[in-house]
Amino acid sequence: MEIVVSIFPVFLFTAFLFLLDSFKLVIKKYLAFALLWGIASAVLAYFCNNFILDVARMKPVTYSRYLAPVVEETIKLLFIFLILSRKRIGFMTDAAIYGFAVGAGFALAENIFFLKTAGNSNLLVWIIRGLGTATMHGTCTSLASIILIGGKSRNTSFLLSITLAVATAYVIHSAFNHFYVNPIWQTIAIIILAPVLFILIFKLTETQLQKWLEIEFSSEIELLKMINQGRFLSTRSGQFLASLQSRFTGETILDMYCFISLYLELSVKAKRNVMLRENGFPVMAEKDTGDKLLELKQLRKRIGKVGELTLAPLIRMNYRSLWKLTYLE
Amino acid sequence: MKITTQTKGNDIFVQVEGRIDTTNSIDFENTVSQALTNEVKQIYLDCSELNYISSSGLRVLLTFLKKMMAAGGTLKLYSLQPAIKEIFDISGFSTIFPIYPDLVAAQEN
Repeated sequence: MEIVVSIFPVFLFTAFLFLLDSFKLVIKKYLAFALLWGIASAVLAYFCNNFILDVARMKPVTYSRYLAPVVEETIKLLFIFLILSRKRIGFMTDAAIYGFAVGAGFALAENIFFLKTAGNSNLLVWIIRGLGTATMHGTCTSLASIILIGGKSRNTSFLLSITLAVATAYVIHSAFNHFYVNPIWQTIAIIILAPVLFILIFKLTETQLQKWLEIEFSSEIELLKMINQGRFLSTRSGQFLASLQSRFTGETILDMYCFISLYLELSVKAKRNVMLRENGFPVMAEKDTGDKLLELKQLRKRIGKVGELTLAPLIRMNYRSLWKLTYLE
Repeated sequence: MKITTQTKGNDIFVQVEGRIDTTNSIDFENTVSQALTNEVKQIYLDCSELNYISSSGLRVLLTFLKKMMAAGGTLKLYSLQPAIKEIFDISGFSTIFPIYPDLVAAQEN
């Protein structure tokens, strides 16, 4: 019974979040990795906490309130840093779900450890651990992940994003460990507030995603039509590119043109795949997509940073622009 | 946007005039959904008067395609204007939706 109440609720909540993902942004493979990392991070945190506790010679209560949250939240977030660097997170929804899964894995390992070492505590303790502590772990990593993707989307300094993300998770985790409020009330509050918060975040993401698809898809199709019909120069984008002749060599201008054309083609197809996934259809992968993605990478290298910045009025190669191309892989 | 629907046995014939975009895609979805019965397995969508479709419209069409495929049928589009056909070709949706030059061709297949 203790196993059931201390372990299953947080996994049910993770499944609930996964089902709320209407655009199916989350990739099951990465969700599984997130859970596994959560478990691994609990083991790692255990050794780190013991080591630091020995070295610092602090009282365990003081350590659990002020230092353990920093150690645990930072270790948990390492997985999120990794998948962000590989552009596998696009919006707040998938960031929240991956983050929650890491927290759920962490809570699972932690509760199994406590079951083995303090298994004869009363059932209420396990209910609080299973519903309160576990949800807290999931929510902290979730919110930190949302802050990180927010920073990436806005091109905020990475250091600032990490600081804000870890600080947010730390404040919630540390406050939880202080038990200012009766643990039962704390648990009730977190299991009511967390679902409400996530539903709001997911609704916001859905609106954001719909707007992003709507605006970009139509304009990219229009521009691509003009390119395919050989009428690119009659567009404002074409005229802008032509005006760069005085600043770049002919070769670079050609590379820029190819880059724009290829990027638009791939971008439209990536958005198509986002829409297909939303409706449960398998994503389409054209045979030459792999070659085109490589070519795009090469063109981007040849154009260089200066070229890319110059093309910013036409194509912003920001984080989300690159993330959506992963839908073609 | 103007939508007309006509049901004949297992088939429903829908004609849409104007645009399907963010502002009216939900209306389009609701109107067609209301006309669908459990017997309907095939939707024939007349696109001869459709002069614009955005990603919202495409997503609604995907929803109907999925519903019809689950019922053992499909959603067939016909008489697309060249500009609309180009949208489907460029985005690759022309390999997902069955598209025909006219109703006769759509019914024969």
